[in-house]
Amino acid sequence: MAILEAQSLTKRFGPVQAVDGVGLTVGQGEITGLLGPNGAGKSTTLHMLLGLVTPDSGSVTMFGLDLQRHRTEVLSRVNFSAGYLGLPGVLHVREVLNSFARLYGLRDPRARVAEVAELLEIGPLLKRRTADLSSGQHTRVQLGKALLNDPELLILDEPTAALDPDAGERIRNLLVSVARETGKALLITSHNMREVERMCDTVHFLSAGRIVASGSAAELAAHFGVVDLEEVFLKVAREGVPA
Amino acid sequence: MTAIAFEAHSTQARWRRVAGVVYRDLAAMRRSPIRVFEILFWPVIELVVWGYVTLFLQANKVPFIVSALLGAVLLWQVLHRASNEVSIGFLEDVWSRNLINLHVTPVTPGEYVTGLILFSLIKIAGGLAVMVTLAYVLYGFGLFGVGIGLIPFMAVLLVLGWALALVAISAVLRFGEGAQVIAWSLVFVFQPVAGVFYPVSVLPEPLQWLATAVPASHVFEGMRAVLGGDPVPWDTLALAAGLDVVYVGVALWLYTATLRHARSKGRLSRFGE
Repeated sequence: MAILEAQSLTKRFGPVQAVDGVGLTVGQGEITGLLGPNGAGKSTTLHMLLGLVTPDSGSVTMFGLDLQRHRTEVLSRVNFSAGYLGLPGVLHVREVLNSFARLYGLRDPRARVAEVAELLEIGPLLKRRTADLSSGQHTRVQLGKALLNDPELLILDEPTAALDPDAGERIRNLLVSVARETGKALLITSHNMREVERMCDTVHFLSAGRIVASGSAAELAAHFGVVDLEEVFLKVAREGVPA
Repeated sequence: MTAIAFEAHSTQARWRRVAGVVYRDLAAMRRSPIRVFEILFWPVIELVVWGYVTLFLQANKVPFIVSALLGAVLLWQVLHRASNEVSIGFLEDVWSRNLINLHVTPVTPGEYVTGLILFSLIKIAGGLAVMVTLAYVLYGFGLFGVGIGLIPFMAVLLVLGWALALVAISAVLRFGEGAQVIAWSLVFVFQPVAGVFYPVSVLPEPLQWLATAVPASHVFEGMRAVLGGDPVPWDTLALAAGLDVVYVGVALWLYTATLRHARSKGRLSRFGE
């Protein structure tokens, strides 16, 4: 069953065609990667999927509902995390999570915050100000925020960018098990090709606002005649897509 | 819908989301004593300065001025804080790069603004309680001497302040963080024609006409009338309330149009950078 269907998304900012006819589908329990060099249109695509940016044309449907017309209902079943986002610095982590639990209309915010804190091992951070967290701790708290509403679709922009290898590995394992065991769909962007190879069922390569290749990591490597996704990335980024 | 959440369009979910905005701001205030200080500092300074000015005038046998000026200082704070507190609530999300996090939640623009307004009420009530007490203790001025008219006077000023805050928020959404100066200064654009510290009749005729279109001018004129022994001017208060409806309508339209424009131009995304 398709959780997310985006069709022919386009977005132009002045002279720049940021996204040009992007279409993608994410199914239940599926982990999809959106890759591409800087400026390829990944974040703009994610932001259109979240309703932060209105597409010039195209449509976004989640759970069979049109995002534009059913924004509140759709967003209550989705969540998002990105390393570049901030959190109110004066608040303690517990207060941030309690506040977002309410913003997602949760029945028992405190109980859910405790569950998520245990899941992400951020219990010791709950009484600390978010401004005092390291970037890795901040990323884990952002992920905790993103899991609060038990989302059916989790959209993650560079989810492990600020984490050390050990923490990154644990978060990857957690995200994969969350997707596999609970049927959540994940859509992630990352510049860590090994991470994408290990996590994603399907990968879409974006270049200059267009999806230029799609498939599993192995399929893409075979398609481009290289050994792994890292080389696919370099080939697409440096040479463009072969005709 | 997940089992752990209320149905997205239910009343419980709506109020839970509004409570989320209020909770966040209350927690921020609790964690930052400087914000509590800020609520009280400027109002108290104004009250003290104007209070002693009025004592000086009273000593010079102009007793009516005392109550008129102190009443004006207190009511002006209602308008000023109503505008600033809502704007600051929004700006804090901008400063902490939290705006994107908020806009990907199911919170509607209406719920967000309602949360900011409810929190502003809490802060204004706290600040005003201190000021009213100080005015009584230091100068023997009882604001409640205005009587029942105090409620509509304050209501008109609160609603006008919130409308101005929505305009300021719209300016920041449209022009970016650089426009935050509007959040601090917009209310002062209205001060000269609102007749806060002097009757509208002292203004040149064109400005008097302009003043009739400013809800606050009817409040401050009404307050002086009541303190001077006249009854509450319900007819002009009704006019002020009608003007408030127009101001709020325009402000809401501006806010929703600006939000739509920010989404269309990708400006909302840039608040996360």
